[in-house]
Amino acid sequence: MEQKGVTVWFTGMSGAGKTALALRLEEELRRRGLKVERLDGDIVRQSLTRDLGFSKEDRDKNIERVTFVAKLLTRNGVAVLCSFISPYREVRARARKEIGNFVEVYCYAPLETLIERDVKGLYKKALAGEIENFTGISDPYEEPENPEVMIDSSKETVEESLAKVLRKLEELGYVPPSPAEEEVYTADEEAEIEARLAALGYL
Amino acid sequence: MKVFVIGLDCAEPSLVFDRWRDDLPNLRRLMEGGTYGELTSSIPAITVPAWASMLSSRDPGQLGFYGFRNRADFSYERMTIATANKVKADRVWDVLSRAGKRVIVHGVPQTYPVKPVNGLMISSFLTPSTYSTFTYPASLKDEIAQVVGGEYLFDVPNFRTEDKAQLLDQIYRLADQHHTLIKHLMTGRRWDFFMHVDMGVDRIHHGFWKYFDERHPLYEPGNPFEDAIHDYYVHIDAQIGERLALLDDDTAVLVVSDHGGQPMMGGICFNEWLKQEGYLTLEYQPEGIVPLEKCEVDWSRTVAWGSGGYYARLFLNVKGREPEGVIAPSDYESVRDELAAKIAAIADPEGNNIGSVAYKPEEIYREVNNIAPDLIVYFGGLRWRSVGSLGLNRIHTFENDIGPDDANHAQQGLYIYYHPRRPGAGRGPRRHLMDVAPTVLDLLDVPIPPGMQGRVIQ
Repeated sequence: MEQKGVTVWFTGMSGAGKTALALRLEEELRRRGLKVERLDGDIVRQSLTRDLGFSKEDRDKNIERVTFVAKLLTRNGVAVLCSFISPYREVRARARKEIGNFVEVYCYAPLETLIERDVKGLYKKALAGEIENFTGISDPYEEPENPEVMIDSSKETVEESLAKVLRKLEELGYVPPSPAEEEVYTADEEAEIEARLAALGYL
Repeated sequence: MKVFVIGLDCAEPSLVFDRWRDDLPNLRRLMEGGTYGELTSSIPAITVPAWASMLSSRDPGQLGFYGFRNRADFSYERMTIATANKVKADRVWDVLSRAGKRVIVHGVPQTYPVKPVNGLMISSFLTPSTYSTFTYPASLKDEIAQVVGGEYLFDVPNFRTEDKAQLLDQIYRLADQHHTLIKHLMTGRRWDFFMHVDMGVDRIHHGFWKYFDERHPLYEPGNPFEDAIHDYYVHIDAQIGERLALLDDDTAVLVVSDHGGQPMMGGICFNEWLKQEGYLTLEYQPEGIVPLEKCEVDWSRTVAWGSGGYYARLFLNVKGREPEGVIAPSDYESVRDELAAKIAAIADPEGNNIGSVAYKPEEIYREVNNIAPDLIVYFGGLRWRSVGSLGLNRIHTFENDIGPDDANHAQQGLYIYYHPRRPGAGRGPRRHLMDVAPTVLDLLDVPIPPGMQGRVIQ
């Protein structure tokens, strides 16, 4: 089966687990032999969009450029994993429209958890007023209304979240089912197990 | 502190707590020194998903499987078996392994294919054969062969037989072989968490219930197997006594069942009923009794179909979802409600309502992952089983489509919780099986990960 390109767009506040999940997904998709490219907010801002800041206008431009790159890759059969806070609904909607094959993954965790985690020390600074326009503190985050997948990193492990995303991608036909899962039983074994289950009254 | 979990698939609280209490000295000792009560099972109350729900503290919807076989996609025929690979959530031994605790897991359903743990794992009855890699580490297999002195048994072979004496013999063989292995592993290894599940209780219930229970429609007083189930409980109790004697006084003990058991009153021919009610149309009437998969269904004139088992699953044929769907998505809810109401009105042959319930997955689970049935149905509080085959030309049957079966599952299983240093409360409140995993973690001082639904049994 030829690979169908797709952009998986991870949105959510800083520290909600976008990058961690995208990294695991990248690993899993590569294991399944797919072409993958990962575009991450923290990395893109050091190259493609290093001239931009965090005002609404600059944030929109940042996403606009990323959307353009993602679109090119997607139409060439690549699975593109974009992890960006991308706080504005309208901009995400534009990305979806531009790219077409688009799967939105909303990475959520309660604000208290994010402040507590504060992996990059940004919330502390933002709360102290040292960072302007910080999403969730001094700038809004507009929650997705209909994301394809929603994960809550305060309640589920990365593996559980990964399973949800993979399931959705499999369901939508962007990713073939895991070879490991398919190979649990040979055809004969499966028939034998089914016969046993039927004999036990389970089926 | 260590934790020793004795799993008894299908163990029925009323038999252990009341009817045979005085004949089960070891379980009675745990009850008298601990806290015990009913343990509410998952919906559906069946081995898969119940044990996984108990040990991950997540409901079947979150786990994404609703029985042994689940729809792989929205086609009419593709089903997949819920193996260990389908369990995406951590089970208690995964959490314990990461926390550095040593675990031994033996015969717990849905552990094939085996996964690495900090300790040992021996898979359960969904294992193809002893040629499969059914242990972790793989080298444990040879040791097991030596300990049991022959072929290791995953389950009772040839369960569906009329030769009851032979069946009984096989059930004892399974229990005794596993008991030998359990004692060997208990004493030969260091462990913090040890869990075993005995399938024999379930098998003997299904095979022998009619012989002892006066409520069973086929019960005959004075029959030769009147004491078969009683004697097996006594046998298991004695084995439990031997195991308890091997524990030190720093070990908590949990005896748990995934659901209870009760007499089976009969079967509801679910697809036959759907056909008679006009929801299911066949191209032509089958000859003899035929499973639905072997019938020619006219999908363009079929609204719903069902599956057999101890509970029923109902699937709707929805336009844009199933290949030849007929229900407009906007009518989905009204069709589902109509069917649920009709199911609730199903009566026995005398015209008395049997009290059936159709559950909507999204109303009983926190999430609904993968493809759930559109309705999960309990006929008469599980006193009636679901018969999926067609060709009986009636709704009720007292003969199963797959051979003799005397028992069905009951929603309440049991728990007995014994802590060596804390006084027990005797007969305690009803708990939920999802409470088991957090209780184990709490006893072993391992933080309970977020997302577990259960609460610690104190």
